[in-house]
Amino acid sequence: MKLELGYIQINDIQFSKECKVENSTLFVDPDAVKAFMYEDDDVKAWVKDFSFDVAKPGESVRITPVKDVIEPRVKVEGPGGVFPGVISKVDTVGSGKTHVLRGMAVVTAGKIVGFQEGIIDMSGPGADYTPFSKLNNFVVVAEPVEGYQDHKHEYEHAVRIAGLRAATFIGEIGRNVTPDETQEFETLGIKEGIEKYPDLPRVAYVHMLQTQGLLHDTYVYGVDAKRTLTTIINPTETMDGAIISGNCVSACDKNTTYHHLNNPVVKALFAAHGKTLNYVCNIITNENVYLADKQRSSDWSAKLCRLLDLDGAIVSQEGFGNPDTDLIMNTKKIELQGVKTTIITDEYAGQDGKSQSLADADPLADAVVTGGNANEVIILPKMDKVIGTLDYVDVIAGGHAGSLRPDGTIEAELQVITGATNEMGFNRLSAR
Amino acid sequence: MSTIGNPRDFRILTNNPLVPACMEGRGLYTIEFHPEKSYREILVMARDKVYAGHTLYTHPLSGSVKPNETPYKSVIVSMEPHGFDQQYAEIISNAIGVCDKFVPCARQYTQRVLEDFQLIDYTLLCGAIGFDAVAGLSNKK
Repeated sequence: MKLELGYIQINDIQFSKECKVENSTLFVDPDAVKAFMYEDDDVKAWVKDFSFDVAKPGESVRITPVKDVIEPRVKVEGPGGVFPGVISKVDTVGSGKTHVLRGMAVVTAGKIVGFQEGIIDMSGPGADYTPFSKLNNFVVVAEPVEGYQDHKHEYEHAVRIAGLRAATFIGEIGRNVTPDETQEFETLGIKEGIEKYPDLPRVAYVHMLQTQGLLHDTYVYGVDAKRTLTTIINPTETMDGAIISGNCVSACDKNTTYHHLNNPVVKALFAAHGKTLNYVCNIITNENVYLADKQRSSDWSAKLCRLLDLDGAIVSQEGFGNPDTDLIMNTKKIELQGVKTTIITDEYAGQDGKSQSLADADPLADAVVTGGNANEVIILPKMDKVIGTLDYVDVIAGGHAGSLRPDGTIEAELQVITGATNEMGFNRLSAR
Repeated sequence: MSTIGNPRDFRILTNNPLVPACMEGRGLYTIEFHPEKSYREILVMARDKVYAGHTLYTHPLSGSVKPNETPYKSVIVSMEPHGFDQQYAEIISNAIGVCDKFVPCARQYTQRVLEDFQLIDYTLLCGAIGFDAVAGLSNKK
């Protein structure tokens, strides 16, 4: 399966009645975006209104509470469309050509639950911890209808769909734009790969997905991943939005949809493919709460690694606590199949960094890459402008009595910053 | 690790009022509601059961809301002991260790925030055993 990504560089976003990309500036009409979002019945039913803003790198701006971050893309050749099974029909994606509006993102924000985290600072010390401070962000703040308190599942779904629809609308603006740069990614069939790279170690990526419940879910081709068995997916399918995020609580180590589209493990494995290793495929598995599900899913991960005759696997988890058990089950069982593993995680090592980092461990999990200590305390300065609301900041993780200080600064743990200790390695705290 | 998945064998230990309100009488499980217990005390109750040979059915650290943030916890153990299992014992005792390393908070939450914490714990429990969370909420007692 071969996919060409055409990158259209976006260095600025301007509101305009005409929607176009010109000289690396995106001109977009928020009213047209809003109308497109409201074409969805669930959005219509649960979202009272949307407001729009643009946040640029270096500005004294704080976006919070962030729900999702999405990179606009559009399929210009080949089967299917972006976000299959959710926005587009369920056709298999990952081949043909896709245009990417690089350098920008759609950020959805607004209240869902009363302890909601997710901070993106566009400048200051907090900006160093989130990759999204480097992007031009088209921010969509959703406001729920009256009485939504008793319908949070429905409202969360509506905001998730609204964000994807906004990104789809903006992606479409890039359909007829000539990309600034193109790049090809190809996954070979099993036999083909062995014949082409007989001497290279066979490596796959075991990608664990957060799958526990409301604000803790992930969807694959529209299916709630907690209802799936461990399976195989072509890496390029993820570049077309086959995996989308439905989680944002404990924002530091939750994968946004942007992370799934730009998975750095996929990127690094493709870069090494055919040179130092043979990148076979991705194996996606879940992180359910029911222990029998964990046993089943990790058994299947190990079984697939053996069936694919792998030499090595990279295992990334999403979250902390419950997923640590899946991480260790996966790693131990894969190692026992004779397949070497390296795991990617973050740490909850306490505010002093002296505690045990994970809730589970095993001697076979002896190669670890860390995304950083999510308990580390940071002071975030007051910003000139807040997009969203500070209503919840006082109850987020970190401060002892409250996080919001009288002078407007925030004392919090890194876990409140979107993407700060990302366990795909998409952050700035690792040794990379 | 062996798990017997008959809902008749599910004993839900919880301090979350939303669990009995939405789930009582709507399944074969048994709900033990302990409103006076803390998050940690629910884990200790589960640990004592596991040490006595009961099966641990759900992960005690479900959810990304940390033990020093949410006051609510629901864990499922078996009604009857099925024999001591080292792996269950490790999971539940590690969970208590994790709980103890988080810095205690002295925060006063509003009723609305408490209700949201209840909602998240409830949906994680529902997700674990395939209970329709939305239907449960619409039939809330």
